[in-house]
Amino acid sequence: MSVLARSVGNAFRNKIRTAAVVAVLAVAIGLALAMLVANQAVGGKVQELNASVGTVLTVNPAGAQGFDGGGEPLTTAQTATAAAVPNVVSVVGTKALRLETATAASTTSTTGTTTQQAGPGAGPGGGTSVTTNLQAAIDAGTLGNRNNTSGSTGSGNTGTGSGSTGTAPAFSLPITATGVGAEVDTSGKALNITSGTGLGDYTVASTKALVGTTLATKNNLKAGSTFTIAGKTFTVAGIFDAGTTFGNNAVYTTLAEAQALAATPGELSSMVVTVNSMENVDAAKTALQTALGSSKADVTQGQRNLETAVSSLDSVKNISLVAFIAALGTAGLIILLIMVMLVRERRREIGVLKAIGARNRTIGLQFVLEALVLVALGSVVGAAIASFASGGIASALISSNSSTSAASQRGPGGGGFGGPGGNPFGGASQLLTSVTAIASPGVIAAGVAAVFGVAVVGALVPALLTARIRPIEVLRGE
Amino acid sequence: MIEVKDLVRQFKSGDRTIKPVNGVSFELEKGTLASIVGKSGSGKSTLLSLLGALDKPTSGDVVVDGVSLAGLPAGKLTEYRRRDIGFVFQQFNLIPNLSAVDNVMLPMEFAGMRKAARLERARSLLEQVQLDPDKQSRRINKLSGGEQQRVAIARALANEPKLILADEPTGNLDEQTGEHIIELLSSLSRNHNTTILVVTHDRSLAQKTERRFRLQQGKLTEEAVRPRVAAGA
Repeated sequence: MSVLARSVGNAFRNKIRTAAVVAVLAVAIGLALAMLVANQAVGGKVQELNASVGTVLTVNPAGAQGFDGGGEPLTTAQTATAAAVPNVVSVVGTKALRLETATAASTTSTTGTTTQQAGPGAGPGGGTSVTTNLQAAIDAGTLGNRNNTSGSTGSGNTGTGSGSTGTAPAFSLPITATGVGAEVDTSGKALNITSGTGLGDYTVASTKALVGTTLATKNNLKAGSTFTIAGKTFTVAGIFDAGTTFGNNAVYTTLAEAQALAATPGELSSMVVTVNSMENVDAAKTALQTALGSSKADVTQGQRNLETAVSSLDSVKNISLVAFIAALGTAGLIILLIMVMLVRERRREIGVLKAIGARNRTIGLQFVLEALVLVALGSVVGAAIASFASGGIASALISSNSSTSAASQRGPGGGGFGGPGGNPFGGASQLLTSVTAIASPGVIAAGVAAVFGVAVVGALVPALLTARIRPIEVLRGE
Repeated sequence: MIEVKDLVRQFKSGDRTIKPVNGVSFELEKGTLASIVGKSGSGKSTLLSLLGALDKPTSGDVVVDGVSLAGLPAGKLTEYRRRDIGFVFQQFNLIPNLSAVDNVMLPMEFAGMRKAARLERARSLLEQVQLDPDKQSRRINKLSGGEQQRVAIARALANEPKLILADEPTGNLDEQTGEHIIELLSSLSRNHNTTILVVTHDRSLAQKTERRFRLQQGKLTEEAVRPRVAAGA
């Protein structure tokens, strides 16, 4: 019988105890592996976010953002200035419009509210309202009515109280239409077109449009369908999915078309500036601010909510790493204590083995192998636990962290239409919930390898203790 | 040949110094079956542990076939126990979760013998100690006390040692089984030409050995030398 066979046999000497030890180890190892899976998933997401939008700067008119604020609008000419800034690789202009359904516009007029109509510079932030035959995909609900009444949307509406909290919707929410100079959203991310095609050349006027999924469903639109904006007929070229209900209640047109609809040729709501690398973002931001002038443009780095998302994800990553190390340490401690107990229990047997000529290293190896047998069993059960639980654990970690972050980031009235950072696509919560923790074989293998490494260390201590046991122990109690 | 030269082992117990072995000297020729008798606490087991290199003497030396144990490093003492010594204990001290044959194979495994060779030898030794073949693969805890002691003797013989040290080998056995065990030791001593030293407080057992020593207050005196008693006599 070899040392290994003897170790396996010893591991099952007391089956009830072995089962208990394996169960405890499995919980610790399962937790460690689940944390590692969460860590890897979140790490991958952070890397993806940094790679995709971490190099994007957003330029808004000085003093304005979305449909809020005041000041002078940006101009198409400023895109050339921005493009000339060192390390800038692309500049995409956007023009934001608010589409109000014709019926909603007339209703609000008859109830005495003053609604901005199409016209140059109608929105303080450069946003302009025009009519459409589309119905918004989102009901106003309590929040919409409250925001509309309080004026927190920044739309310029002066509420009459007709949409008081808790009553049935008194007005229809507007739809965001954005003219873009390239096939990207206002955060610089590529549009996810789920059916149909893009708009082709985004720099020329065109009556083709992209419609969000929920808006398309609400209005029974598909690729090839038509709708109107300011009395002009548009054809749906494609349907996009922004990933959020808010983001999908939107329309994209070419930049030139949006400027024409708003009757503000050459005006921009914002510019999306992409820098060549993350290392150059800060320098490019400063240079861009200088080139455009701080009295004319506000330059912000990417999206505030994206920073929040990355920050939250980083926190989750750190928490999961700490938890992984703690669980790993716990597994090592369990092994250490179990093996110390076994060594103490088998002092006499160790003495016998020494008396009949076993070397210290042979006995030590036997105990290490016995520990590894227990760890192997615990790892099998732990891996099964991790594969079932890692998704839930990662979600729990992320949701608890994102709610904490959101609570600290969001002020009263936040999240209203056109509020700060009012980007129809994405948002921290969407980015956070899109993290999928899957227990891949590679990650599990790496985790199990780490567990075995810790187990060897944990088992070495008691194995070394066996060297201190003197063979005369065998005569004790004779 | 085993030479024991002025062997002393002393312990501190509080302020007192205890000498369970105090200046013991004797020689044993190869193939001798000898016994040491003495009351409980007379130092028999301590002397045995010194001869088997389980413990180190305070002074004195044990010389086995011209090799002095004094000053040998721990590794060499382990090798000495593995190669030159076989132990038989009162409580058998077999590994409980192993079979009889696996227990006998252990010292051979530690000596680096190939598996097939050690299995063959273990079965042969178990036959010599008259353990039924159908019991050779049984776990130790499924065997009777006498059978376990036979397995322990087979294990002691595994690496063909020069000296077998038996500490109260019949102490846990009934009288008849004890008789069988001492006959077995006697025949093994003859057949294998192995020196066997039995420590016991059983005078009737001691009388069946060729040389008989008495250990009293750490001092060893030889009581009798007589021709070997034939097995079964």
